[in-house]
Amino acid sequence: MAIDSYKYVDFATRQIMKAWAARQEPGVIPFTPLAKPLRECTVALLSTAGIARNDDVPFDQEGERRDPWWGDPTFRRIPLGTTEKDIRIYHLHIDPKFGETDLDVVLPMRRLAELASQGVVGQPARMHYSTMGYILEPTELVEKTAPAIAASMRDESVDAVVLVPV
Amino acid sequence: MQRIIEASGIATVTLSWMPDLTRRVGVPRLAGISYPLSRPLGRPHDPDGQRAVLRATLEVLEQATRPDHCVELPFVWPETAAQARNASKDVPPSPIAALLLKEPWLIPKLYSGHIPA
Repeated sequence: MAIDSYKYVDFATRQIMKAWAARQEPGVIPFTPLAKPLRECTVALLSTAGIARNDDVPFDQEGERRDPWWGDPTFRRIPLGTTEKDIRIYHLHIDPKFGETDLDVVLPMRRLAELASQGVVGQPARMHYSTMGYILEPTELVEKTAPAIAASMRDESVDAVVLVPV
Repeated sequence: MQRIIEASGIATVTLSWMPDLTRRVGVPRLAGISYPLSRPLGRPHDPDGQRAVLRATLEVLEQATRPDHCVELPFVWPETAAQARNASKDVPPSPIAALLLKEPWLIPKLYSGHIPA
């Protein structure tokens, strides 16, 4: 791929990315074909921007400040209709102001709803999700967080998911 | 995370600004985009631009027939890399970045997977 993954990142972030990539072991990749045409699908979004509603528990930034090798592995539910006024972005490795100015920059729920009204997708899911992307040790993410998100999506009969890492 | 959701029976696609690295993990479907981190869908208050990126990503989802389906999206960020980075120059370094700048001998620990307790 011609895209330069490091084009916009600083030195420290580049080191973290390279080290993370070097430790990945792909294995067999699962594949679930779309069960119905996209225009009939319920679509959910998953962001890694550390988005939490103001009436929910923030992601733990103090914990990461105390132990820089640790990142909060939990997730938050973001209901359709939540806007930038209702949330904060808790992520120490990105610039939160863009998503806090316009939530669609990191979690495009309004854009998804527009595409549904244009007939591109069936409907946006009622529930969308955010994790916080700085996780060096993925055990809890893999054993608890991701399965919980998947189960919640299945309960809502989500057909397809767009993941938007930040 | 994408693989776990896919394995549970839901079709997934990732919109990634670091497609080479996402591909190392091995994912079912991937749409690569050369946009800065923090702004994967594009600029604030540009709904047409954001909608175009989302729509192109959904098309990758629709067109894939096999895992490791990777497409490079054609969108061009309208600034130079330096201008894009400059927009965030007031953001303090993350705790790990500050630590590694202060104690660069810790960088190999990132590679060894030895996370200090």
